[in-house]
Amino acid sequence: MSRRVVVTGMGVVAPNGIGVDAYWRALSAGQCAIGPREYTSAEKFSLTKPTAAVDDPDGVLDNLGRDIARTDRFSKFAVAAADEAMKMSGLEIDEALSGRAACIIGTGIGGQVSYDKAYVDMLWYEKRPHPTSILKLIPNAAASHLSIRFGLRGPAFAVSSACASGAHAIGVCADLIRSGAADVGVTGASEACLTFGSLEAWRAMYILSDDTCRPFSKNRSGLVIGEGAGVLVLEEEERARARGAPILARLAGFGMNADGKDMINPAVEGASGAMTLAMDSVKINDPSAVYINAHGTGTLMNDPTETKAIRTVFGQDADALVVSSTKSMHGHLLGAAGGIETIAALLALKHGVAPPTVNYDEPDPECDLNYAQTGAVERDFELVLSNSFAFGGLNAVVAFEKG
Amino acid sequence: MSEIETTLLAVIKENAVGLSGDLTRDTLISDLGIDSFSVVEIIYEVEEKLSVEIPFNANENPFGEMETVGDLIDALNSLIKR
Repeated sequence: MSRRVVVTGMGVVAPNGIGVDAYWRALSAGQCAIGPREYTSAEKFSLTKPTAAVDDPDGVLDNLGRDIARTDRFSKFAVAAADEAMKMSGLEIDEALSGRAACIIGTGIGGQVSYDKAYVDMLWYEKRPHPTSILKLIPNAAASHLSIRFGLRGPAFAVSSACASGAHAIGVCADLIRSGAADVGVTGASEACLTFGSLEAWRAMYILSDDTCRPFSKNRSGLVIGEGAGVLVLEEEERARARGAPILARLAGFGMNADGKDMINPAVEGASGAMTLAMDSVKINDPSAVYINAHGTGTLMNDPTETKAIRTVFGQDADALVVSSTKSMHGHLLGAAGGIETIAALLALKHGVAPPTVNYDEPDPECDLNYAQTGAVERDFELVLSNSFAFGGLNAVVAFEKG
Repeated sequence: MSEIETTLLAVIKENAVGLSGDLTRDTLISDLGIDSFSVVEIIYEVEEKLSVEIPFNANENPFGEMETVGDLIDALNSLIKR
C-alpha cells in the first residue's frame, strides 16, 4: 500500500489576518485588505499603489525571538506561520525524527527588503552593504531558519517558481513523504516584496491595478501585490494517526507541468494539464462538492485562460463547481500565494464554506463559471484544489480531500 | 577600561541572545548564545562604532580556542590594532 500524506497543522500570516482563525473570519466574511499605500526609498523616491500589506498591531512579528528579529521580513512571516502550524499539529521533532523531517519553503524572490536596502546603502548613501545582507536575502533563508528553529534535519531547501512557488513546495514536500525520503515535513511559502524598488519593477510591466483586485470581473485591471506566508505540517498518514494527531485533510493529488511557450502569457493546456495530473487518482462523485481556489489574479490574460482550463478538465460538470479567487481579498502574494491559498482551500473543506470572490461587479462572457461572486457559498465539499500558475509558464496544482 | 573595550562589551551584550545576568570579561562565550550570524553582526557594529576595519573571515571558526569574553575582546583588540 502506498504511503499517503495528511495535513496536521496550518499557520498563516496574511494581509487579512494573522493566524488561521483571523484569516478564516476575514475570508468567509469577504473582508478585503487591499488599499492604497505609499512606498518610499532613499528619502527621495515615492510610489503610491493599492497593495495588501500585513498589519501587525499585536507585534507578533516582533516577538519571534532575538535570533529571528534580525532576519528579513519574509523569514519572519515564515517563522510566525510555522510556529502556529507546529503548535496546531502538536508534532514533536525528537532526535529519531529529526533526520526524517523535511523543510521545503517556497518564495518568488527571497529577501527583497534586504536586497533593496543593500543597494540603496551602496548606491545612494555610498555605504558598504551590511555584512549579513546575504544571510538575509538568500531565498533559502526562511527554510534554513525553520530547519534550525525546529530541528528539521531531513531534506530542506527553497523552491522558487514565481507565483507557483508555494504550490510546488507543498507538492514536492508531499512527494518526499510519499516516496519515503521523509516522514514529516514543514512546508509552504513566504514572500515580502512590498518595497519601492519591487513595485516600480512591477509597475514597469503595466500589470499593477490602480484600482483593486477584481478577479473574473469584466472590468478587472490587473494585479494587486500582497505579502505574507502560509505554512503546513504534512505527515505520513499512518504515523500521524498512530500519534493521535489532528487530521485536517488528506492530500488527494499534486500536479505540475510547464507550458514551455511564453514568459508572460499562460496556456490553457498547461493549466488544464496540471489540474488533470492533480486529480489523476481522484474519483469525483459529485462535481458540486468540488471547490477550486483559483489562481484568479485579476489580470486580463489569466482569468479567461484559467476559466477555459477548468472547462477543459471538467467539461459539462464545470458549471456545478464553486471557483473563487481569494486574491480579491488578500492580493497576490506571488511566491507565497500557493501557501495561503492552499490553506484557504483547506479551510473551505473543513468549514463547508467557499470564500467569495469580492470586488466582482461586471460579468465577462469569457469568464463564465460560478465564482461565488455574490458571497460565500455554504456546501459540504469533498475535494478542494488550489491552482497556481507562474510567470514563465510553470504550473502547480494541489488537491485535498477529507482525512 | 578603554573606549575600545567598553564598545566591544556593549556590542557583545547587545548580540548575546542567550545571556542572563551581567557581562564581564570572565563570562563564558558558551553562555552568550552567539552564533555565526551574531559574530558577523558584532564585527560590523564594532567597525561602524569605532571607525575601524576588522579583517575577520566570516567562514573561520570565530572562537577557536577562546573560552571567555575577555579572550574574545583581546582577539578583537589585536585585530583592530593590526
